[in-house]
Amino acid sequence: MGQYHGKMLQRGTRVRPLTPQRIVAICGLLGAVLFVVVVFSLRMGAYPISLRDIVMTLFRGAIGRRDEIPSDFWLVVFGLRLPRIALGILVGGALATAGAGFQALLRNPLADPYVLGLSSGAALGAMLSLMVAPHTAGVIQAGAFVGAVATTATVYFLGRRGGQLDSPTLLLAGIISASFLSAAIMFLGTTLSGRDQRGMAFWLMGDLATPPTVDLKWLYFVLLVTLGSIYTTSSDLNLILTGEQEARHLGVNVHRVKLVVYVAGSLLTGLAVSVGGAIGYVGLLVPHMMRLLFGTDYRLLIPTSAIGGGIIIVLADTLARTVVAPTELPVGAMTALAGAPVFIYLMRRRVR
Amino acid sequence: MAAMSALAMAFGAPRIAAAQNEAAHSPKAAPGKTVTDETGRRVAVPPEVKRIVTLAPDLTETVYALGLGERLVGDTEVCDTPAAAKSKPHVGTPVSPNLESIVALHPDLVLATTSINRRETVDALRHLGIAVYSTDPHTVQGMLDSLAHIAELTGAAEPGTTLVAGLRARLDALHARLADLPLVHVLFVIWEDPLITIGQNTFVADALRWAGAESVIVSNQNWPRVGLEVVLELQPDYIVLTSDHQKAEGTESGDLKKRPGWKDLRAVEVGHVVVISEGVDRPAPGLVDAIEELAHVLHPEAFKEKKENGKVKVENSPWANTTARCSSEAPACAL
Repeated sequence: MGQYHGKMLQRGTRVRPLTPQRIVAICGLLGAVLFVVVVFSLRMGAYPISLRDIVMTLFRGAIGRRDEIPSDFWLVVFGLRLPRIALGILVGGALATAGAGFQALLRNPLADPYVLGLSSGAALGAMLSLMVAPHTAGVIQAGAFVGAVATTATVYFLGRRGGQLDSPTLLLAGIISASFLSAAIMFLGTTLSGRDQRGMAFWLMGDLATPPTVDLKWLYFVLLVTLGSIYTTSSDLNLILTGEQEARHLGVNVHRVKLVVYVAGSLLTGLAVSVGGAIGYVGLLVPHMMRLLFGTDYRLLIPTSAIGGGIIIVLADTLARTVVAPTELPVGAMTALAGAPVFIYLMRRRVR
Repeated sequence: MAAMSALAMAFGAPRIAAAQNEAAHSPKAAPGKTVTDETGRRVAVPPEVKRIVTLAPDLTETVYALGLGERLVGDTEVCDTPAAAKSKPHVGTPVSPNLESIVALHPDLVLATTSINRRETVDALRHLGIAVYSTDPHTVQGMLDSLAHIAELTGAAEPGTTLVAGLRARLDALHARLADLPLVHVLFVIWEDPLITIGQNTFVADALRWAGAESVIVSNQNWPRVGLEVVLELQPDYIVLTSDHQKAEGTESGDLKKRPGWKDLRAVEVGHVVVISEGVDRPAPGLVDAIEELAHVLHPEAFKEKKENGKVKVENSPWANTTARCSSEAPACAL
């Protein structure tokens, strides 16, 4: 595993030295792509609005002249599409960064919150918390976080063989945990009324159509703080990936770095699952795309994954709500369609 | 950054949207009324409901039965009764309707029901400032109550009262005939594979009681999944299926006879397999038609004096032609 990352790391860094200017430039570029995707997504939907009307609505909204916007445009753009896009960016950024973090923490390029069973753990935690204290703001998020932390610890423990993290064992531990947790979720689901069951089924497939019960502002606040704390470990992660022993010799507090990534990754997973359900493969797909594009340096990989995750989820969700319009698909179905083949490709490439 | 300010707008948007909508409605809010729907939520309904969107087939049927078909501006893809409902603009499926399509139709009132719609859908629409009234019928009487509520909301109180009284009279007449007869034990099949039946708290269970029958399965879950073994042990007198997934009665009972497990059921052996109209699945006026239909099959002795030439003929028998339930003689469908 270390070799895999190490090789990629060398290839990435040798091309051009990574300066802060370069990080800002690449992130700015991705930000521009995200902006284009957001405008594209704002344009698409069952309610026909021209690009010109979208721009006018956004502009008038931004300068506070709301009364000049036709009420339909206001409802569709600011009431429906923009909140959903904002939620998508949040969920995508959280999952992709969590994926990048876990890939370093577990030294396994196939690590992903969904594959490792963390999403299922977060979902079970959220569900239990809903049963214990329904209709309390923030309780789903707390439950999802606890579920993700507990599952990470379990999978980490089960994935060890002879005191060492063993890649196939780790993946098997994740898959088995996920199926066990899914069974527990189904079992708990029978106690819900029909109406809640339908909502739960949607949520488990990954669904952004439902506005969260907690203000998006707070969720974004948690996201940015967590991203920041993972980012502070990025130089150390680069060293850890070349080998823990070597990193320790170079003065890296390996234990502390791992703890930060572990807690932050679980928090990001819990955050994403609590509002968007179990959306799979984003944490796998996005960091690998970013590695291919910009190299494997974690100082660049963490921010680009965060933005790239937003881009991918907004695109996937735009497809999910338009391909079979007026009916909507869960966004998780879209990411799984794209993500599962990539997972297989990466797995086969590693075996060779 | 334009993107950032746009995002910032998104955070505050729901509240602003709601506030703006309140403002838009405030001039006419005075003559409008605020009612509590069947799930306990407060709904502000405009004084005159001119544009209705329904999110379930039973609600669509109810709206037509009240003579409000012209005010229905949108329904779901699965709304097929009456036939005119099929040509209305659709807003998606009951479980995942497209909110934008609903906004585009400018409804005064959206009708939803707990039996098929998601709570999240209702929440999201309310968030946008759209009036949503949810029905929550668990019994046949509950269906009649929902009917009366919708009639009152939409300003169709008078046709509503007539309709409810008519349905009630038919139910009472049925009760008078069946009250002294023993209940027939049936297995009501929602879905065959896996076998899904009804719990005792559903309106279907209540409808069975009105038809002089009782489900052999007792469950607190609404739509419990049961094993065939349990059914073999309980040996119901009749198997009741609905026509929506099995079209013809002949093929269906023949089909069951060939299936392992099912063929060992006494009811299947003696041909006690009933296929009734799917109206029994829907808490709408057509439910009473389906109840009458079932009662005639399960308790032919109670209607014997009306039998001629082996054909059932009962006065005021709107179910006689079940494929065209909304024919003109059915009071439920008098438009």
